[in-house]
Amino acid sequence: MERILTRNVDKPDSTSLATYEAAGGYQALRKALASMTPDAVTEEVKKSGLRGRGGAGFFAGLKWSFMPKEVDPKRPHYLLMNADESEPGTFKDRLLMERDPHLVVEAAVVSAYAIRASTCYIYIRGEFVRPAQILERAVAEARARGYVGRNILGSGFDCEVHVHRGAGAYICGEETALMSSLEGNRGYPRLKPPFPAQSGVWGCPTTINNVETLCCVPFIVERGGEWFASIGPNAKNSGPKLYCLSGHVKRPGVYEAPMGLPLMELIHELGGGMLHDDRPLKAVIPGGSSVPVLRADECDVNLDFDSLAAKGTFLGSAGVMVMDSSVCMVQAMERIAHFYHHESCGQCTPCREGCGWLERILTRIEHGRGLPQDLDLLLSVSDNIMGNTICALGDAAAMPTLSFVKKFRDEFRHHIDAKRCLAGTVEPQGVR
Amino acid sequence: MPKVTIDGRTIEVAPGTTILEAALGEGREIPHYCWHAGLSVAGNCRMCLVEVEKMPKLVIGCYTPVADGMVVHTQNDRVKRARAAIMEFFLINHPLDCPICDQAGECRLQDYAVEHGTGRSRFTEEKLLLNKAVDIGAHVMLDQERCIQCSRCIRFCDEVTRTGELGFFQRGERSQIGIYPGKRLDNAYSGNVVDLCPVGALTLKEFRFATRVWYLKNTPSICAGCARGCNVVIGVGQQQALMTTSGQQDDRIKRIVPRANDEVNGHWICDEGRLSYRRIQAAERLLATRPADWDAAIGAAAEALKAAAAKGRLAAILSPRLTCEAIHGWKRLLDALGGATVGVRRLERGENDPLLIRADKGANSKGAAWILGPAPEQAVTDGAAKGAFDALLIAGDVLDPADDPALETLRGAVKTVVYHGPFAGAAAGAASILLPGPAWGEEAGTYVSFEGRVQRLARARVPHGEARPAWRAAADLAAAAGVALPDWTSADAVLEDAAGSVRELAGLDAAAIGLLGVAGGAA
Repeated sequence: MERILTRNVDKPDSTSLATYEAAGGYQALRKALASMTPDAVTEEVKKSGLRGRGGAGFFAGLKWSFMPKEVDPKRPHYLLMNADESEPGTFKDRLLMERDPHLVVEAAVVSAYAIRASTCYIYIRGEFVRPAQILERAVAEARARGYVGRNILGSGFDCEVHVHRGAGAYICGEETALMSSLEGNRGYPRLKPPFPAQSGVWGCPTTINNVETLCCVPFIVERGGEWFASIGPNAKNSGPKLYCLSGHVKRPGVYEAPMGLPLMELIHELGGGMLHDDRPLKAVIPGGSSVPVLRADECDVNLDFDSLAAKGTFLGSAGVMVMDSSVCMVQAMERIAHFYHHESCGQCTPCREGCGWLERILTRIEHGRGLPQDLDLLLSVSDNIMGNTICALGDAAAMPTLSFVKKFRDEFRHHIDAKRCLAGTVEPQGVR
Repeated sequence: MPKVTIDGRTIEVAPGTTILEAALGEGREIPHYCWHAGLSVAGNCRMCLVEVEKMPKLVIGCYTPVADGMVVHTQNDRVKRARAAIMEFFLINHPLDCPICDQAGECRLQDYAVEHGTGRSRFTEEKLLLNKAVDIGAHVMLDQERCIQCSRCIRFCDEVTRTGELGFFQRGERSQIGIYPGKRLDNAYSGNVVDLCPVGALTLKEFRFATRVWYLKNTPSICAGCARGCNVVIGVGQQQALMTTSGQQDDRIKRIVPRANDEVNGHWICDEGRLSYRRIQAAERLLATRPADWDAAIGAAAEALKAAAAKGRLAAILSPRLTCEAIHGWKRLLDALGGATVGVRRLERGENDPLLIRADKGANSKGAAWILGPAPEQAVTDGAAKGAFDALLIAGDVLDPADDPALETLRGAVKTVVYHGPFAGAAAGAASILLPGPAWGEEAGTYVSFEGRVQRLARARVPHGEARPAWRAAADLAAAAGVALPDWTSADAVLEDAAGSVRELAGLDAAAIGLLGVAGGAA
């Protein structure tokens, strides 16, 4: 398949404006500004079936259409590009920002044009120091060439692009927490409604999308929504997709393939197969650490929104984590729970208190101090978090817990009863 | 107007009303911690989760506006399960120190744990250990372990006082409220965060470990701190004083807390008003008459006042903290004796602030003006300096201590000074005849705020010693002087009498004024 999103990433000097322009860069911006209205851009994005690549999979064109059609001068529109890529197992946006920063910049300006925003903030994860530097250089280069700033390409359209670095909190990737953080406040998610299109950053109409999502837009503008929709299994699961492959495979990395790539193809063909030939596949987390895990026997599935939903899990951020038979599922779950415990913002009660509780129970089980009632307790605590919180972080902690315990109950049971690990690689270590 | 059905009852409410407000309006409580009528909605405690038909998830009642045709369930199994779950989350890291917690007995966590909790804990881990006594301000201590992160105190400092001293620090289960570096919680309203705190995380230094709240006798009243007339509840100790041999009850005022009144003080009071009882309790009280025996003192005073009045040489200085009943009683007496030059002390200090505090510290300056008309104290002091008076009546909690020496000048200038009031301070020192009176909190009566709102004080405690209310003293003096005055037996009867002659009080009685007061002066 033709590489679309990653067409430049392997080129020498891939971050330079010259490389990008040589590959046809900024043509989408020229086309949009010269011959398309903002609504026409939005219409193409709607036709493309583009869905959010950040995790929730919401239709991007539909989201854009919620923005007011007129700009109230007192309430300017804002585009926020969510580059706070922090979901464990996810590293696709980083690749784009590090290797093809001008695609990110063009995507920002074209998308801002569509939603009538004259300011775009790229909110980038604090740990991404190098990508932030590369992006800032690209923005400066683009500004010097007239792709960013006032009266872009003589069209009369103004768009300023700012790279804003976060301070290292996972929660700031949640869209409303990101807005609070950008405003200089504590990164707390907000109650909804109002939704960002009504009242987002600084109370103004705001659209927020993931980096990869927006990076699809220049191609949609150039080649049309129908072209985009023709890639992948169907119009609701369309386009090129970046898959982040990690874990026990021979060649982990970011792979571009059409939406709907079979999971086993990703592992065995693109990923070169399992890392150790004598250790069979045990489980896969298909969409970043917050989605329910798949057992090996459930892995005959295509990686798209609806196919994974039919299996009770999510495409999420397409962070595909492969685990072979050596993995102790209790230990893996404990590590995931530790992450959500560490990253819960603490604003609302179920997540603040529940995430720590989950980790403590899992730590006990992992270290041979589990109690017979602990498994039902894990399920109950997870159920009590699910759906009762302000944002999705609570669900993100509860969903893997529910799926790990339900699908690998015997392993958890063994840890409690025998105080040993069924996977055989991790001995109970006693009191930590 | 949208119609909403809550637990089977269909009601009509104003657009924009939330489910929680609609339920409260019906007298149904949806349990909640972070929501407060006087603050913005935070939606963080999740205690008010309710089920709305056709909505997939439970929603928080405090944030969800009612829509026409909405059907809400606040008591079904799903909601009850969620509530029990939230209670469990609140309690897992909450310390079990109720036996030493000042909030115990009026703690939302206790109340809801009983009402909505499961009664047993499934939590077998170690609870979080945090600081138990963080000094965050002049009046407020923080116990981090007890905090449930409802953010009421933070929102109060952000939205009401706009001083922003408090914020959240750290993240997740370790997140704690605290003061920003270089700041202290020392705004003029800091004590309100203690009332707002639904648990025992914020306690008032002046009330910490002072008593158990169930030993308090709570009386609704009006603050005497300034002309605002904030509605308060006075908490008086009822516990047998321990470690004493007297067997006396410890009946001191233990605390003053605000009482909500949207027309006057919203939900708040200032720290000065909150702690005003300390001045009353610290000052030396006038307990006995001089000359000894009430009747003897009344007789001596009546003789002096009557003789002076007969010559037109009688004057009086009244406190603007006297109740309308007291002022009316004195006015009736002075009029019956033949008239006197009457002055009302002005108690001004500081400035009006944008929230509640008034520079006029005379809680009943307006009432005095309604009853007496213009009565500048200057007329009395000038006259006394010229030797125009034989007798002077000083009545009430007249003066701030700093102003007391002004009375010294009157001592030499007037032959007989009669003092009726609570304190054995300089006012009493200037007087030859002393009649003890009740202090604030020790008598029923009426105050008129600077906005003309007529409000009722109630007696929270019985004064020690021989103190009698002013209207009683006035009636006794009238009887001794042989002039006609109604033989009032209660403050209500005096108010009724005053309502008959004071235009602004016309038609008012205790029942009409009620707990929240009424606007007077309309007639």
